[in-house]
Order: sequence, then structure tokens, then C-alpha cells
Amino acid sequence: MAVNWAERIEAFSRCPSGFLSGTTVDAFLAELLRELRDDKATYSVKVHLLSPLCEYPTLLCPSDSVGEETALELMSVFTQCPPRYVEFRCHLLLATTSVLICTACVSSHSRASQDFLKLLLEIAQDIGDIQGDGTLRALRATSCDCLREMEACSPGLLCHRLELIDGLRQQETSRLHQAFAGLHTLVLRNAVYQLTQETGAGAEHLKALLEGNTSVAWESDQDSGMLSNKDSGVLSSLILEPMGTVPTLHTGPDCKELRSVLASLLEESFLLTPLSQAELLHRLTELVAMVPGVPPSIFKAQLLRLLGTSEVCLFHSTLLLKCAFTDSLFSAEDEAFILKRLVMLSQHPLLTTAETLFYMDCILHFPENRPISCGESDEMLPVLLTPRLASALVPTVFNESSTMLARFNLHCLVHLEEGGEGEVEEDRGVAYLYEHLISLMHIVENGGSREIIVTFFRAAFLFLFYLYHIEHYSNSLMEKLCKLYLHHTQLGPHLINLADQTQDRLSESRWALGLLKALQKVITDAPLAQLTLQDVHWHLKILSRIAEEGEIPQPGTIHFLSSIITRSSSSLCASGDWRLGSSVLRVCRRLLVHPSLDSLLIPLADILQHLACHYGDTDIQDHSRLYYTLLTTLSKEKLAEVLAQGAVEEGRQVKKRSLSCIEGEGLTSMLTIQQTEKVVFKLVAVEPDLKEETSQESRAPIPNEAETCLEQVHTTVAAYRAQFSNPDFASELTLTYRLVHVEVCDSRFDHLFSIRLHFNLTDEYYEELSDLSVPCLFRERPSPVVKLRLRPRQPYSTTLHASAIFSTQDGLSWHTTLPDIQVCFRQTFMPLPAPQSWGRAEKLHLFEGLWEEICSEGKANEEQSDCATSLLCCQLKDAALSFLMEKHFLPFLVSELSNKEEFKVLIFLPPKSHVLLKVSSEEDTVHFKIATDNWQLLSHIGSYLLAITTHTTLAADCDASYWVFKSKN
Amino acid sequence: MSARALWVISHDKGERVSVRFSRRFSTVEHRAKRLAGSSYVAIPDDNTVLQLLLTELGISEPDKPYAALRDDCLDRQRSPALELRVDAGNRVLWPVLAMSRGPLILACLPLVDVPPGPRPPLAHLLSVSQGLTLLAGLHAFLLGSGSRPDSEGLASRLAALPSVLLQACPLGTPLDVPALGASAPTAHMPAGNQKQPAWKTGLHRGRPVVNLALIETVRSMQYGSRARQDLWDVYGTVTCKCEVEGVLPNVTVTLTLPPNGSPLQDVLVHPCVTSLDSSILTASSVDNCDGSAFSGPYKFPFSPPLEPFRLCSYTSQVPVPPILGSYQLKEEEKQLHVSVNLKLHESVKNSFEYCEAHLPFFNRGQIGVADVKVSSGQLDVSKEKSLLVWALGQKFPKSREVTMEGKIVFWGPTAGPTDPLCTDLTAYIKLYFKVPDMTLSGCCVDQHSVQVYSSTKPRITTSRELQSKEYFIWNSTGTAPVSSGHMIL
Repeated sequence: MAVNWAERIEAFSRCPSGFLSGTTVDAFLAELLRELRDDKATYSVKVHLLSPLCEYPTLLCPSDSVGEETALELMSVFTQCPPRYVEFRCHLLLATTSVLICTACVSSHSRASQDFLKLLLEIAQDIGDIQGDGTLRALRATSCDCLREMEACSPGLLCHRLELIDGLRQQETSRLHQAFAGLHTLVLRNAVYQLTQETGAGAEHLKALLEGNTSVAWESDQDSGMLSNKDSGVLSSLILEPMGTVPTLHTGPDCKELRSVLASLLEESFLLTPLSQAELLHRLTELVAMVPGVPPSIFKAQLLRLLGTSEVCLFHSTLLLKCAFTDSLFSAEDEAFILKRLVMLSQHPLLTTAETLFYMDCILHFPENRPISCGESDEMLPVLLTPRLASALVPTVFNESSTMLARFNLHCLVHLEEGGEGEVEEDRGVAYLYEHLISLMHIVENGGSREIIVTFFRAAFLFLFYLYHIEHYSNSLMEKLCKLYLHHTQLGPHLINLADQTQDRLSESRWALGLLKALQKVITDAPLAQLTLQDVHWHLKILSRIAEEGEIPQPGTIHFLSSIITRSSSSLCASGDWRLGSSVLRVCRRLLVHPSLDSLLIPLADILQHLACHYGDTDIQDHSRLYYTLLTTLSKEKLAEVLAQGAVEEGRQVKKRSLSCIEGEGLTSMLTIQQTEKVVFKLVAVEPDLKEETSQESRAPIPNEAETCLEQVHTTVAAYRAQFSNPDFASELTLTYRLVHVEVCDSRFDHLFSIRLHFNLTDEYYEELSDLSVPCLFRERPSPVVKLRLRPRQPYSTTLHASAIFSTQDGLSWHTTLPDIQVCFRQTFMPLPAPQSWGRAEKLHLFEGLWEEICSEGKANEEQSDCATSLLCCQLKDAALSFLMEKHFLPFLVSELSNKEEFKVLIFLPPKSHVLLKVSSEEDTVHFKIATDNWQLLSHIGSYLLAITTHTTLAADCDASYWVFKSKN
Repeated sequence: MSARALWVISHDKGERVSVRFSRRFSTVEHRAKRLAGSSYVAIPDDNTVLQLLLTELGISEPDKPYAALRDDCLDRQRSPALELRVDAGNRVLWPVLAMSRGPLILACLPLVDVPPGPRPPLAHLLSVSQGLTLLAGLHAFLLGSGSRPDSEGLASRLAALPSVLLQACPLGTPLDVPALGASAPTAHMPAGNQKQPAWKTGLHRGRPVVNLALIETVRSMQYGSRARQDLWDVYGTVTCKCEVEGVLPNVTVTLTLPPNGSPLQDVLVHPCVTSLDSSILTASSVDNCDGSAFSGPYKFPFSPPLEPFRLCSYTSQVPVPPILGSYQLKEEEKQLHVSVNLKLHESVKNSFEYCEAHLPFFNRGQIGVADVKVSSGQLDVSKEKSLLVWALGQKFPKSREVTMEGKIVFWGPTAGPTDPLCTDLTAYIKLYFKVPDMTLSGCCVDQHSVQVYSSTKPRITTSRELQSKEYFIWNSTGTAPVSSGHMIL
């Protein structure tokens, strides 16, 4: 059967580790390689097969030796592949390159990598493509790309081939010259870098290098020009800071050869795509930076073209040129011009948001010719950026969010510098920024989208971050935020987040504290009558954050709590909303550790007591009682210590999560029983093993029927009856279940401990059940067996509600509901509770005795008696009947199974009912004669028989054509 | 200067999000590992990346009004590079570039090629601007010309991505952006020493054709108030389609201005422009200090690629807006008195392809009765009953002035579009118009000035048009939002 490779490869890419857990790496790799060699597979599929090797070579080739073998294998597939499958062959080259580089075969010069290098160079030089159908050209381009990647990952690998590559570049007139130019510049750059690392290397060495005379170039290590693997410096860009140090090669002013190579590369740079051009310029910038003998003015001819470009990467490479050469290439006028250009580009209507954001970032890291400081500071304005120039970038409400924030940030910086000391308040720019912030707030008030809300709070944070010291504005903002909150309480979490972050980032400012204080005031001053439940919810959140602040007096909060829970019109306590209750408690808990607790003690105790007595949720009552006890019995120090554990956990981390997690904080959650949202586990019935139930049956010889005498029967019945003098005798049903996790995975509940199962009855047929304990339940371990002991009052089917309390590994307690348990009628059947010593003979005697009793009782006392008899007939073949008896009645059979004339079945149903069956075949009809000492069971047994015979007929493939139901009563 | 990974994600307004394509560049990853040393952060699997990315872009969990990770006010959403907090927030994958347009989000992770240590500024990483170029190119390729491609077209272009990347970015180092049209590889170069540009996919054979289209776009904010200066600006683009023989043919296009025209500013050119005169670049909109600036002619010598391209763009400061409007709303009891006057400037050709004024009345209830008279054109109420559409047709009357006067009564709740910038008396008229065969700046491409160095006589066509975009006239009786920095200085 064909494997759907496209799907398999997709599954692999989606999650490689997950995919490989279903197979082994070796097997998958072998499969891939086999399929690649398979002639039947199409080449488009084969291209797919290479993607795992291209993308995850180290995963598939965990060792260098596997990498080596795989690469050899791929190369042999390459040589055998017909040349016309160009795309596949190109992908093969890419895969081989990936495998060799990533498994360190290239850096260790393994045989495969040497062979592959040779192959790539051969392809690159192959100009046999006279017909010019372009197929060879694609392959040559890819081989150049592979060579370049190998050189990039193992710098110096191709330094011996510099002359060859230069020659190929110069000869090539097709579009391929771009690939050669890219390769050439990289190899040249790496080779020169390497020379800079050689002590005493100079002009001679450089010349030799360019002429391909590598034996002269590398004096110290003639064998190999490759740089040591440990030196990752060569991999880094050499243009970092204007003041950064670049390794240099001292050649003196005369490096004609290098200059001519550079000139030729630059001259042709126009012919490259913008992306390749940018790359080339960057490499050449590095090169010239390393060789002071070449003046940066070599780039001059390109500059105008580059400064006028609409391509972001080309303009960027110009900025990098400026970064590297500062005033040796750019005059002060140039600098002013470039900055103006950057400002213009940052707001150009034809550019994308990402581009304008990038240009704005470039303004904040502008490579100045003479930077005032080269400190570590993240963002700095160039000196030349005057407020006038920056005014082109003022934020407006028409800007897209990120653009607006970037502009806002820039202007905060502009006006921070502009204002200087003391005069800041006069600054019109700051006034504008503040007005802008307020216009954003108006949009939020007018129902702005979520995006605008978030943007507003981010802008507010930026404003405070830079300009919090202008109290006139920061106080006014505080006031406005409070008003905003009062009308839009759902903004609570945003405000808490803003308070958290300003407190965190502006440790010297007391603004956050001020905001929280002001919020406390507006919350506690607002008329209660207008509060919605939602408002209360958010108010409590804010108050609980406020209660964290030791410096903020809390009487207002206490007053608010006490009013909302005692308010006569309040349905809060009566509603028993658990969430709301725990929100109240969360505030209380914070107050318990508040430094001003002494002054809060009595009102807080009142609140807790009120909750403990009147709150409509038991859990909340319990917790309130606990807090009340802690508060009233422990000293302040001890209380702090008891609650400290939670506080430590809470710490900054929880605060960082901005209290957004409604549940799960410290001690409160430790003491709280949480409700699971979904079913976590369930009870699954274990099918009773009939064979096992019968196996204990003694196999005593059957007594001859004739020998049965009446007296024996009577004594047997009496002995049997005597057992029931003990009221507990045979009064319990034991049902076996397994406790198993539901399929839906929630990793929090994988390991559960101390599970206490509780059952509730849905009718009066059974006695109350006691709770059951299960020590633990682990998803990966066998499920524990739970035996349910039911004491029926009447042996009818029933439904049980089940719930459980358990704890999870993190110490939290949970309450959960299990799916209902259905106890069916069949499950109430028990084998005869006969004394241990009894054999089949005694049981038969008992059967006869009971049968006789029931029949006579029923006849004699039709009205009052519980006894009843009945007859059921159905059409059932002999074989089907045997099957039925064996399947459903074996544990209850008192006659021999082999005795097919008449089966005698005695079923005991606790606490004291019996159902007796005499089953016989008469012609085509099977007669079920039924006798019972509990007439109410007749209809149940009737439906049960109907069910199993129908099932049996279907199973035995017979016809059950009719039923006769006669009751003799 | 390479990318470690690339993702293409499709979504429908933040829902039904899925990674449609992803590519890891293992050799670049190999370099990233060596460069970063112990601070290396591996890329998680696609689904994790997707979730983290959506969180950073602010579009995860759309049904939650507040999500701490998504909505933190500290977030640096103002940077083009995102941080993905992997390993439960302990480590940061940076800088992830993401570009969202239409139903697609494209993202890539450029290699940070600096030694480990403090995070370098984006401006120091060439891979960032290269990544932006690559993503923009892929966007254009995947979405085609419209921003809403049919799903089949998108699927087929996604399926073509592996072979597209084989050309454009085989091993993580971007070489080119995907070609937009299906370009059949044409025949090999005829013998000759001239190198073929890498951006030119083939050679044209046949009669040379040069097609130049100049489109100017005008934006405006008019407040009708003494306190606030009205604003307008114009930007133009020259789109070019050249079919000229030769490997590297020379074409020169010249833009000219009328004698008193104000100089073209902020000129940006296509990379195929071979050389530029420095005077062309001097005028800038961000410092309009130099009155004696160069005012043309603007010569653009270039060697055209085969596909259509944007030769250059500019901005211009024109003395007057093409349509000057005034808008007044008065709240009277339960009705709104509307008064509008629009005046077409005499320099503008009175011949529109279309001209419409939209008057939205959001956040007010439905338009119940619109007892409004217009001096010209046709008035309609939109389907959602929250917008008046005034179609002015192809021509203004001889007086070049039109008016609208009347009363509107609102009732009932409103459904449909909303705009938080349109509440109460903060209201606006938005104008949509297009005028063929004219530009506001007076800039034009003279057909006769186009030089093509070719053996056969080229066929040259030129066209120009003016269109509006974000053309607002604010109600002068309400508060209007500030829209430009010129106001504060």
C-alpha cells in the first residue's frame, strides 16, 4: 500500500519530536533514503522527502558518522538521477549541504564533505550548457549557494579557490554572475579576516591571496586556511558601533589588486537584486573596514543611487556604511541629509508599517559621525533631530497602533531632552502629547476597540515613564483614569497592570501609589445603589491590589466591604456566588497582613463573622470562619507568619501576572476547594467473570431424583432460612468498578491523591452509601479497583450520583462530579447464599422446597401473599437455549447444565427475595416457568428475560416469533 | 544576514488560524547556535510559535477582554521586531519579524550575527531589513494583486513556495524576492560581454513599448475653523511597464513641472535607476525651508526590468486643496441640522470619473427621516441607516459649488459600521473622487521626452490621474482630532 508521504512529511514538520516518538530516527531515515532510491516514486514526492533532511538534519543524523553515510547516500542518488529532474537535483544538493554542515562533517573535513565540495565546484564550473535550456544554470546557481553556505559556516574553507571563483564571476554573463559575486565576496572577506588574525601579515600576503598563491598567504598553517572552529568572531558582523573595534590588516596605501577587485564588484553591484546588493555592500563594507589601506571613498560612486532608493535593505546598507566609516565617508551635510531622509521615510505613505517602524528604530540608533556618548543606553536621539524635524512624526489618532506608539515614544524622548530643567512645564510639545493621550482616552470612552484600549494604556505608560515628573500632567492623568474606571469598570485589569508596571519601572515615583489611593477613593465614594455585580467584581479586584500597599490606609476598603455584604438590599450574601465570595475573602486576606491591621481588627472581624454566618456558600463560610479564627486568636506576628508562606509564593511573580489569574494565590487557594470545570475521572463497571463465580461450585454427584424425600427438602429449607436470622446476612451487593481518567487530557490532573468518593441515592430502594477512599490515581498506572457495597431495600435498578474531593500535586484541593452510575437489574442478582458445605444436592432440595412453598402460598393466599408464579414462552432453538443458559444463568443454575430437559435456576436478590426458574423446551417453544416470593419483581424479570432472549435469538440467528405471557395469579 | 526560519500563517480576522507553511534553515540555525553560545534559544515547534506570535500580535484569545501576556502595557509593540517568550517566558526568541496583510501573517526570524552579549539594536542587523524585504516580496507573491485572493489561488501559490524559495532563499540567505508573474526561463544570452542583470528574468523581443502611468493621491483634513489650519498633501507615483530589447537597455524618463510649480519632494526611486542627480533628492517635506530648490526637469535614467514596476514616487506641496469644504452640524431637539458646502478649485479639471461624499452618523441610532436638499447630485441612505451617500457624479455645476442643507431625525438602535472618531458632534465628511488626466502638482511625463535607445521606434503611452484618499472635512461645530504635527509648531 502506498504511504502518503506528503502527509507524513507534513506531520513530521509540524512536530518532529512528536512524530519521531511514533517511530525511530533510524527507521525513518532508512525509509526516507529507501524511498529516494525507489524508481517508482515520483520526483515531486522525492522533493518532499528531502525537506526533513534540509530542515532537521541533526535530528535525523544524530552523529557525524550517520551524517557522513547519509551524505554519501544522497550524493549517490544525485549521480544516478537523470539530469532533467533539475529541481530534485537542486534540492538534493541543499539536503546534502545541510547534513554535512550541521553534523560537523564539513568542519572536520570528512571524506564525504571533500567529495561533495569537489562535486559542487565541478558543477559550478560546468559551462557545457551550450544549448542554453537553462536547466544546468539552475543547478550551477544552487551549487554556488551551497558553496557559499559552506564557506559561511566554515569560514576559510574556500580561501584556496579565491582566484578560481573570481575568474568564474568575471566570465559569467548570465544571471548566474550574482551567485558567483556573492560567493566571491564572502570568501574574500573571510580570507582577509583570517589574514588579520595572522601576526605579521601584510600587503604581500594579501597580494598572494588574491593571486591564488595561498602557500605564501598562509605562513603559519600552510595546510589549511580554515579558521578554528572555536572562533565564532568570524561569523559575526564586523560593523557594530562607530567606535567598535574591527580587526585590521596593515598593508600600507598600495593595495592595487584588492582595489581593482572591489571596484569591479561595486561597478557590477547595480546588476544584482536589491537583497543580494545589500549583502554584497555589507560584506565589502566589512572588508574595507579591515583594510585601512583602501579608502572608504571607493563607495562614493554608489551613494546617491543608494540614498534615493525605495528599497529598505539598500538604504539600510547605506546606514551601515555610515556606521562603519562615519566622517571618512560622510560629511556633516550628508549626515543631516540622511537623517532628514530617515524622518521622511518613517512617515512615507507608500511604505508598509513594518518598514516605517524599522526606520523609526534607525532614528533612535542613528549612526552619528560624532556621537556624544556611546553608552549602553538603549535608545538615543541623534543631536540633529530637532523638535521641528521630529514634528513630521507626531503621533495622531489616525495612526495604526504600533506606529502611533513608536511616534509617541520618539516624541517623549524629544521633549524630555528639549525641556531641560525647570522649563519643562512650558513645553508645548509635552502639552501636545498629553492632549493626544486624552484624545485616545476619549476614544476608549466612546467604545474604542480592545486594540485601542491596549494602545491607550501603553501610551499612558510611555508618557509616565518619561514624563512622570511633570506633576501637573501626571496628576491630571491620574484623576482622569479614575473617572474612566468608574464608568468602565471592566478596565480594572488594565489599571492594575499600569499601576504594577509604573511601580516596577519607576521606583522613585509615587505615582502608582497615588493612582491606587485615588482609585480606592472613587470606589468607596461611589453610591452603592448603582453598583452592578460586574462593578463589584472589578472593585474587589482593585481593592485587593490596593490592600497590598502597606502605605495606603484601609478603612475605606473595610467600609466598602462591610457595606456590600450587609446592605439590606444586597443579594450578595444570599446569592452565595462563590467567585464573588472568594474575591471578598481575597481582600480580607490581604488586610490580615496589612501593617495597619490593629486599627482594622474589629471591623474586619465583623465582616468575617458576617460572611461565616450569612454567606450562601459553605466553602466561603468555612474560609471566613478560618480567617476569623486566625484573626481573633493569633497575635499579629503569628498571623503574619501563618500567612507568610502564601505571601512568599505570591511575591512579585504573581503580581507580575497582574492578578489576572482569578484563582490560585498562596494560602487562600491552599485552603480553598476548587471546582473542576470538566469531568476528571469516572467509574467503569468491571464485568463479573461468570466462570469464576461458578468455579467454586462443588461438583458433587447429582443425587438421583427418586431419592429426594420430602423430609430432606424441609430440613434443607429450614437450614437455609435459619441463616437469615442474622439481619446482615447476605444483605449486601458488591459491585466492582475501576476508577479511570476521562480521555480528555489535562496535565494538572494526571496525578491525583487522597481521592474521597461520595455517593448520593436517587431513590429510596437502597440504604445510604458510605464514602470510599482511593489513595491515588495516576494516569499512566493501572486504574485502581473500587468495590461499591450496596444494601438494597428493594432489589431494583437505580442511579447513583457520585462526586469526589481530591488533591493535586501542587497541593490544591478540588471537588469534582463523576458521571452517574447506573445499577441495572441484572447487577442485583446474587448466587444462592447457601452454606459453604452445601453441594448441588442440597441446592436442588432447596429449589424444590422453595418452588413448592411459593406455588402453594400463592394459591392459598392470593390477595395478601407476596408470592407469584408466571409462565413465559418463546420460540428458541435448543442450541440457542443452551447458549442462553450458559451465558446468563450459569452462576445461578442448580441443575446440571448437561441436563437439557429442564434447567433449574435459583436467583437470590438481596436482602431476601428469590426468583426461581424452570426452563424447558417443548417442541419449538421454550417455557420459562417463574416463581418468586416477591411479586413486584415479576415485571422486572419479565423484561429481563425478554431482553436476553431477544438478544440471544439475534445472536444465535434464530427467529423469536412470538411470546406468550401468562400469569397464573 | 540570513533567516533562521520562515512561517506563513493564514487567519480569518484572528480566527481559524493555522500555519500554512514553515521552513527551518538548518545551516543558519547551526550558525545561530555557534554565535549565541550559551544564550542560544532554540525555535519551538510550529504550533507553539503560532500561539506565541498571536499573543505578541495581540490577536490571541479574541474573546477575552484582557489577557495579561497579550495586553501588558509594558509591551514594546512599537518595534517591527517581536519577542516570543518561549519556555514559559524564561527565554526570549528575538527578533521575530511579522507582517500582516489580508488573511496572511508572514513571519521570519533573522539571524543575529553579533557576538553574545547585550542585545544589539535592530539597526545594526542587516538581516532585519533583508527579512522585511523578503516578507514583503512573499506577501506580494502569495496575495497576488488584490489583498483578498481566492483560497484556491492561495493554495496553489503556497504549494509553489518550495520551488519559489529554491530560487529566492535556498539556504536561508535571501537572494531575491519571488517573481510575480509566471516567468518562463527565456533563452540564454546571445554572445556578448554585457552581463544580464540578476533581476531581469529574460529578454524582450519585438517592438519596444513604454507605458508610463502617473497617479497622484491627495489627502486632506479640513476643519473650517480659525484655530486650526486645514491640511492637505499630495503624493505621486510613476508606474512603468517597459518592453525594450537588449540586455541592459537605457531608458530615460523626464518629469516636468509647470513654470511656477513647487518642487517635487521626498523622491524615492526604483533600484533599476542607474544614476541620480543630487539636486533631485534635496527637496524634503520634513524641512520646507529651501524655497529656491531645484524644480526640474527630473531625469530618471534606468534600465527596466521586464515586469511593471514603480519607477519613482514623490510628494508635493500644492497651494490649495482640490475641493474645499465646510461642514456644520447643529443639534436641535431631537433632530440634527446639516449644512454642507463643497467648492471645486478653479485649477481642477471639472471632469470626474466619480465623486462621492460620505457623511457617517455613527453612534446615534438609525437615520429615520432625512429631509435634506442638495443643489446637485443624488442622495442615498446606506443599508445600515447610518450613512448618507451623496453622489456628485462626473461634474460640479458651472458655479463649481454644491450645497447640502436639511434636517435628519434619528431613531432606533443602529447596527453596522462604527467609528469611535464619529460621536456626537465629532463628525466628518469623507470625499472619494478620481479625476482622469490631471495632476495637482502639475507634474507630468512628457511623452516626447522619453528616451529609449533602441533601433526601432518605440511606442510610448503616458497617462495621469488624481485620486483622493483620507480626504476628511470635519464638522466645524464639534471637536476634531489633531492629525499632524504642523499644528503644534
